[in-house]
Formats: sequence, C-alpha cells, structure tokens
Amino acid sequence: MNECHDLKYISKNKKQGLRVIALAGNPNVGKTTIFNGLTGLRQHVGNWPGVTVEKKEGILKYHDKEFLVIDLPGTYSLTASSIDELIARNFLLGSNADVVVDIVDSSSLMRNLFLTMEIFEMGIKNVIIALNKIDIAKKRGISFDVKKMEKVIGVPVIPTNAKSGEGVEELKAMISGMAEGKATTNPITPIYDEPIEQEIGHISGVLSETPLAQWYNVRWLAIKLLTRDQEVIKLVLNYLGPKKMDEILIHISELERYYKHPLDIVIANQKYEFIDKLMHQFVIHFGEVHETFSDCMDKILTHPLYGIFTLLGVFYLLFKFVFTIGTPLQEFLDNTFVSFGQLIAPHIGNETLRGLIVNGIIGGVGSVLSFFPLVFLLFVAMSILEDSGYMARAATVMEKIMRIFGLPGKSFIPMVLAFGCNVPAIMSTRTLEDERDRILTMLVNPLVPCSARMVVITFLTGVFFSKHKALVAVGIYAISLFLALLSALILGKFVIKGEESPFVMELPEYAIPSWKIALIHSWERSKEFLRKAGTVILFGSIAIWYLSSYPQAMGSGLSYAEKLGKVFEPFTMLMGLDWKAAVSLIFGIIAKENVIATYGVIYGIGENEEALIMLMRVAMTSLQAFVLALVTTLYIPCIATIGAIRAEGGNKWATVAVIYNLLLSSIIGVLVYNIGLFLGL
Amino acid sequence: MGKLDDILELIKEGARTSKEIAERLEISAEEVEGIIKILESLGYVEKIEIGESCGSCPLKKICLGSCIIFKGNIYQMKK
Ligand SMILES: Nc1nc2c(ncn2[C@@H]2O[C@H](COP(=O)(O)OP(=O)(O)OP(=O)(O)O)[C@@H](O)[C@H]2O)c(=O)[nH]1
Ligand SMILES: [Mg+2]
Repeated sequence: MNECHDLKYISKNKKQGLRVIALAGNPNVGKTTIFNGLTGLRQHVGNWPGVTVEKKEGILKYHDKEFLVIDLPGTYSLTASSIDELIARNFLLGSNADVVVDIVDSSSLMRNLFLTMEIFEMGIKNVIIALNKIDIAKKRGISFDVKKMEKVIGVPVIPTNAKSGEGVEELKAMISGMAEGKATTNPITPIYDEPIEQEIGHISGVLSETPLAQWYNVRWLAIKLLTRDQEVIKLVLNYLGPKKMDEILIHISELERYYKHPLDIVIANQKYEFIDKLMHQFVIHFGEVHETFSDCMDKILTHPLYGIFTLLGVFYLLFKFVFTIGTPLQEFLDNTFVSFGQLIAPHIGNETLRGLIVNGIIGGVGSVLSFFPLVFLLFVAMSILEDSGYMARAATVMEKIMRIFGLPGKSFIPMVLAFGCNVPAIMSTRTLEDERDRILTMLVNPLVPCSARMVVITFLTGVFFSKHKALVAVGIYAISLFLALLSALILGKFVIKGEESPFVMELPEYAIPSWKIALIHSWERSKEFLRKAGTVILFGSIAIWYLSSYPQAMGSGLSYAEKLGKVFEPFTMLMGLDWKAAVSLIFGIIAKENVIATYGVIYGIGENEEALIMLMRVAMTSLQAFVLALVTTLYIPCIATIGAIRAEGGNKWATVAVIYNLLLSSIIGVLVYNIGLFLGL
Repeated sequence: MGKLDDILELIKEGARTSKEIAERLEISAEEVEGIIKILESLGYVEKIEIGESCGSCPLKKICLGSCIIFKGNIYQMKK
C-alpha cells in the first residue's frame, strides 16, 4: 500500500476470498433490518478500525454460495463531515465491495437518492437499489414504475419490506447474480450547469495525467475539488504540486464568485434538481399532499395568540389531573406520617432524640415525602405531554412570542433548554459570541420555570391551597413565564442585535402516548425525588430542627430560627410574610422543598397534632400563601444554576444573577401582595 | 437558486419550523426535513442536542426536574 491510497480503507476481508456485499444508505432506512434478513444469525459485531463506530459483518448463504455482508454506517451524503460519512466513503472508495446494496426509503425517496447519486459519482457500478419500506410508501399513496426506474437509474431496483421479509429473497438472488458478474449496469450520474461541467472537464483532464486516475474516478475527484473537500485537496496536492493546485483553486474561486455561493451548495442544489426531474419519470403517484389533521392542529397550537392560551389551558389540565388524583393520596400519606410520629413518640425516652426524630425527621422529611404522589403524577402528565409531540409546539409558540417581545433569536435555544433545566441552558449561551448578549441571556434564563420548578409549584399549591389548586398553579407558572418574557423585552431593548444564528425546528408527528412508557419514565424521574428526600431534605430538616430548638424551643422567641427570621421579617412583611416564611425561604435556598420542610418542622415543634397542610391553611390567608409560593418559585436559581452562571460568567455575574432574582421576586411579591390587598383578596 | 438554498434563505429570514418552510415553498414538510438532513450532512446546519445536554449538570442526581424529552429536532445554522 502506498500513500496514494490514503483516502481508501482496504478491508481485510478482501483477502479471505469471500465476495463482499456492502449495505449503504441513509440512517434509519432499514439497513440493519435487511442485514439481518440476509445473514440470519450468522453475524459478528465489532468496531471500525481506530474508532468506536459499530461495524456489523455477517455471512449470507445463497444456494451453495457464501458472501460476506457489511452494514455501513448510515449517512445522508458522502462529504467527509462526520466520522460515519468518512467510514462509509473510504470503504466505498477502496473498492472493497463486489456489490453495493443501496437501501433507500421509498417513502422519502428524494433525499435517499441524493446519496445514491454520490455513490454513482464515485464510479461504483455494481449497485443494487433496495426500494425499502415499500409498505409505508403504499400507505401514503406513493407508487412507482419499478421497471422504468431501473431503466432511468441504470441499476436493478428491488422493492422490499424488510420488516416482513418481502423482496428479500429477490434481493439475495440479485446479489448473487451481480457478484458473479451476471448483471450489467449503467448508473446515471447528475449533469451540472455548463460552467461547472466545463471546470469538471478541465480538472479531470489534468488529473487523468496523474497516477490518481488509476485508483480513483477522476470526475469524482474533480467534483470534490470544486466543493473544496479538504481530504481530496490534500490528496491531489501530492500529485499535482502547489502550482497547479493553486491554478485550480483560482478557477474555483472564480466560479464561486460567478454563483455568489460556495460550490458545494451550488452542486448540491443542482444534484437535487436533477433527482427531482428523474423522479418524475418513474414515480406514478407522489402521494397525497393535502392538509392533514395535524397541519390544522399546528396552525392553532403554534399560533402566537391561540397558542399561548392553549399552552396555559394544557398546563391547567395537567395540574388539574395531578391535584385531582394526587391530593387524596397526599393527605393520606401526610396523616400517616403524623400518626406514625405520635405512635413512636412515647417510646423514645430521650427527649432530644424524640424531638429530632419526631419533629425534625418525620416532621420535615415526612411532609416533603407525602408529596410523592403529586410529584409522580406530575411526571406522568409531563411524560404524556412530551410523548404526544406537544412540547415542540409549545416551544414554537414561546419562540414566536419571544420574538414579538424582541428577544433576539439566538437566545431562544437557551430559553427552550431552560424548560427542562437551566444548567445546560446556561451552558449553551457559550455559542453566543457577543459578551453582552451572553450575560443578559444568562441573567434572564433562570426565570424560565424549569421542570424542577414545576414540581415546586405543584408542591406549594398543594400545601397552601385547598381549592382552585390547578388555577393557582397555572397562575404561578404564567407569572413566571411572563417575567421571562418581560425580561426578554428588556433584553431586546438593551442588546444590540448582532448577527443572528438562525435555527429551524422539525415538528414531530403527533402520537398517542404510551401509558407504560410514561409510568416507567415517571418512576425513573421520581426516584430522584425520593433520593433527594433522603439526602438534602433530611439534612436540611435536621438543621432546621436544631435551629428551631436551641438554645430554647421555639415560641420562646429565643431560638436561632426565630432570631434569624425576625431579622428579615420587616422586609418580608412588605409582602405579607412573617418570620416563619422568612426562615423557610432562607432554608429554601439550598433546595426549594426545604420551604415545606421548614414549615413541617416549625409546626411539628409546636406539638400540634394535626396534619401540616391543615395548619398551614389556617396560618396564612390565600393571598399570603400565593405570594409565598410565587416568591419561592422565583427568588433564587438552584445552586447548580448559580454554579453554571459562575462557570460561564465568573463570580461577578453569578452574584448579579442572584441579586437580580432576589430583587425581581421581591418586587413581584410586594406588588402582588399589595394589589391583592387592594382588591380585597 | 435551488431548493437547498431557498431553505437556507428562509431559515435565515426567520422561518422557524419545517412546516412553515414547506408552506412557503409549496412542498411537503417531509421533503423540507429531508433537505435539512442533507444540509446537515453538507455542514450548513447542525443538530442541537437537547436531551443529552442535561448530562452537564452536576446536580443531575438530585435534581427534581429532568431534561425535557423534546421530540422533534432543532437545527442551528452554522457559520
Ligand atoms: N414498515 C416498515 N418498517 C421498516 C422496514 N424496514 C425497516 N423498518 C423499520 O425501520 C426502523 C429502522 O430500521 P433499521 O434496520 O434499524 O435501520 P438502519 O438503516 O439500520 O438504521 P441506522 O443503523 O440507524 O442507520 C426499524 O424500526 C425497522 O423495524 C420496512 O420495510 N417497512
Ligand atoms: Mg443500522
């Protein structure tokens, strides 16, 4: 082997004497399914040399003959932009295969044939097209004249349904025949515009005089040079030397100026158009292109005005579902924990230990744990929403509204990510070049209610409200969103709109969610909740218990907790919250559930016999409760988010972010409380 | 110039979903999505991984929330 072969990968199997069949195609077209159909159980899975891309090999037995079948990685083209493409391309370039089976998805033939054309352009002749997923095409009303297709394309075409095995026998026969040289093919290759064809001709002429012509198809090399393929440029440079290469590159630049675009996109466009024309020769029906039900749904669901109301409606139903089913379970658990505490209390002799266990641990952790059913149901509901394909629509609506509010498009991705978790969202601001854009996006981001915040909202409304829970929860959610949008408005005003980094979203098909998946999924997620109850909240509860019991028990006005709370009370009273709320908010900094745990401990210490939620509902007016729930949701990002901001923007911005959130939530708290008072709530 | 280019232009102009683009070009959303895949492979757009990005969170283990499973893909234009 000498350096001239450096683009090629030469398979060892070549030497084993077996004829090699390579399966190529776009991702997800059914290559592996066909591979299994051809080889049965005679397979071996390994890696491609030097990389961790899976390589599947197997033996196809047909009559008394054996062939080695290799499943190539799925790719959409044969540029060298990803490792998968490079593997497939180098394998095909190395003439390793006696037959290439190009598997195409007949229900989206256009993009599939793009790869086919690239394979043909390499000069590979022994190709069979497996027109797979023919069942799906049929369902969509797409039909082909296969004979005509063979004639137009120039290679055998075999319709298959790999899933049912239909056509696989014919495919085997064709493979066997072609491997033995019994089939002649004449693959069609795209023809480009005159200026491009001229340059291809020119470069091919130059290359024909080099040894490269023995190993590669020169037309393919020429086209790849035009598209400035780095691998090919390097290869050709070895043979042409810098002077001739520069000449070629100058020509390419001239062409690029002529087309006002890089040639790779020009060539891809023309290739695509070429395929479009080809298809019209052998596709009998292109399928129905009328407006589907899902198109109509999308018109409403992604409309900026109707969409936002639907969004709120959907979340209202979500909370309604959670509370309707979850509340009785939650109350049952809460009562159980209280009774359990009372049951074991007399049996613990040591007073301190009794306080710790009954008030601290059972009071704190128990009150949080009793919310497990609500958390679980929330995850079930969210899972179902996600599975249905609705979330992508919700994101689209948000984006449209954000755009109306003036948020630069480039901040959208961090915002969408934030609905899941603020941490990756903040990390993703890294892609924004402008320092100011980045910082502002980072500051606004924690206002988007992440999925954990949904839990907190569920939690707080569950505790504080006996009626209209779903409405309150949606209200808090909506205020949160509104603040994010408001901040977006500020962002839009202050950020000088730099260069946009546009994006596009593929809306998934609507799907009927699977209960089973939703349940499994939700269990996985809510397990974390249990774990958290066992760690952060357990330690939090113990700390709260200690601070509330020493140096003297609460009620004396001397406990650490009371003293601490009283320091902040004058301030929190502006939003109608007393020292207890102040203490709980302080503990909530570590984990927002601690807000509930704190109340659990505080009321537990008062030797109350009733369940926590009963006590809470008398202790506070609905307005106070709403303010507390709202402020808890907003007042501080979680520790990980603060950490992420620190990592991305440094200490200064982490501090600013915390202060911004605190300030904003205080202002909102005071506003809502006073407006509420004014309205007589 | 051609469909690939038209789609890139529309994305630059602010079309946000494949359906929007499909409507503007009067082709099917599936075809638009197919072209986006080709554009990805040519290196003009890149897919944004949403799910996996949650792996970057140090508190993943104890976080109450979870990465949204965002069905549907988002592609970002590359420079
Ligand atoms: N209806 C139908 N489904 C098919 C057919 N062939 C494959 N599938 C399904 O399509 C999906 C993808 O099939 P795979 O064989 O994994 O596709 P692949 O090309 O190997 O995919 P990658 O390895 O990811 O590139 C699976 O769910 C198959 O069951 C077919 O002819 N008809
Ligand atoms: Mg596969």
